[in-house]
Amino acid sequence: MNQPIIRVENVGLRFDSFVALDDVSLSVNAGQCIVICGPSGSGKSTLLRCINGLERFQKGDVWVDGVSVRGCQDLPKLRRGVGMVFQHFELYPHMTVLENITLAPIKAKGLSRKQAEDLAFHYLDRVGIVDQAQKHPGRLSGGQQQRAAIARALALEPKAMLFDEPTSALDPEMIAEVLYVMRDLARGGMTMLVVTHEMGFAREVADEVVFMDRGRIVEHAPVDEFFSTPRAERTREFLNKILLKL
Amino acid sequence: MDWQVIIANFPLLMSGLVKSLQLTVVSALFSFPLGCLIAIGRLSHRRWLSGASTAFVNVLRSNPLILILFWFYFLVPLITGRNVNDLTSIIVAFIVFFAAYFAEIVRSGIQSVGVRQIQAGLSSGLTYAQTMRHIVLPQAIRAMLPALITQCIVVFQGTTVVYVIGYSELLHTAASIAERTVRPVELYVTVAAIYFIVCYSASRIARHFEKGAA
Ligand SMILES: Nc1ncnc2c1ncn2[C@@H]1O[C@H](COP(=O)(O)OP(=O)(O)OP(=O)(O)O)[C@@H](O)[C@H]1O
Ligand SMILES: [Mg+2]
Repeated sequence: MNQPIIRVENVGLRFDSFVALDDVSLSVNAGQCIVICGPSGSGKSTLLRCINGLERFQKGDVWVDGVSVRGCQDLPKLRRGVGMVFQHFELYPHMTVLENITLAPIKAKGLSRKQAEDLAFHYLDRVGIVDQAQKHPGRLSGGQQQRAAIARALALEPKAMLFDEPTSALDPEMIAEVLYVMRDLARGGMTMLVVTHEMGFAREVADEVVFMDRGRIVEHAPVDEFFSTPRAERTREFLNKILLKL
Repeated sequence: MDWQVIIANFPLLMSGLVKSLQLTVVSALFSFPLGCLIAIGRLSHRRWLSGASTAFVNVLRSNPLILILFWFYFLVPLITGRNVNDLTSIIVAFIVFFAAYFAEIVRSGIQSVGVRQIQAGLSSGLTYAQTMRHIVLPQAIRAMLPALITQCIVVFQGTTVVYVIGYSELLHTAASIAERTVRPVELYVTVAAIYFIVCYSASRIARHFEKGAA
């Protein structure tokens, strides 16, 4: 049983006439961490949304743990199996951190409140903010909010985690605490697909790096190769640009 | 001027006010949830559903309340061939009419919450209905509370149209006392004061929530 957890095959997606994804294929095996980078508007977020069926694509298909997204009869169940972390956290501002985390386990998975809270405290501990459980998200720092959002995704005990630029809305001093949690997850064997421009994180944690441009995968290579000998001209340009900025 | 007439008829006026308020509360209590459903329908991706909801809103908002009231009061018994109780047709007309206005308020409230919160809910395995119920609507209602209260004021003022079919709400009660006692000035001044007190207090409450939201 070593089929990939996530398999994207020849996915094509258009918004009217604009091609957002063009023949994209990608596999993430169990325990792998793959980083996606690329300029703004290249389709990275759109690709992540396709993986858990939030966006309809016209061509190809995606399989999550062997289940086809296109033919999926029970999308909520499929989505539960894929945790998602967003750039702007998307915590629910009218609920406490604890309620944020227990909502889906109770309503979608049918756990009892007690079970869901035990799970929530377990993962809050894992991301290091147990003491913030009873607060509303607005009272937390950006880094704490993102860690709460990660705990929320983990509490569904997903088979894979998708991260969409999880640190790019954070102040520099808070980026490290979130990356620390993500590194810890990857080392713990979580299957991860991460959109980020944190190349330090990519070098250290990723198994493979993907570079996207204008809806296409331009480069896809093991991490060492990606940084040492990028083949595509576009990748070199992009790497120069962001590495200089850091 | 003879204000004695107001004192003598005060209990009667108050019972008219209670009827106006009851009609307002019952209408709002039912048109708000109906408005929520219509708002969700308008935002649906299913063409027929959003089409039907939009048509409902546009038709009702392009007609005066009194005409909708006539529809339910005169035409529905005529068409169905059954006698409908006065109060029932008034209430149904109010609920249907104001649902269209509540729907528009709820729709803009839902849109103020934003698609990213919906995606967060869906991505955690909640259904669309659960996402609406637990994530979007609680935030939307908070954002639209001032507009909802203002709409309730409009409903309250709207209750005066049932005057035409002789339902004894505040205005109708005052009018019949005025006729009986031949003291129209005193009565209409008093009624104006009562409407002012109720509506102005409610609008102060609305403003309080507006500040709270900012
Ligand atoms: N619902 C939509 N309707 C129309 N166009 C869209 C929609 N969603 C995304 N797009 C377009 O698709 C392209 C890819 O968007 P996407 O958000 O996936 O890019 P991205 O790589 O995540 O960029 P960023 O780094 O800015 O987040 C963009 O040009 C965007 O304008
Ligand atoms: Mg993006």
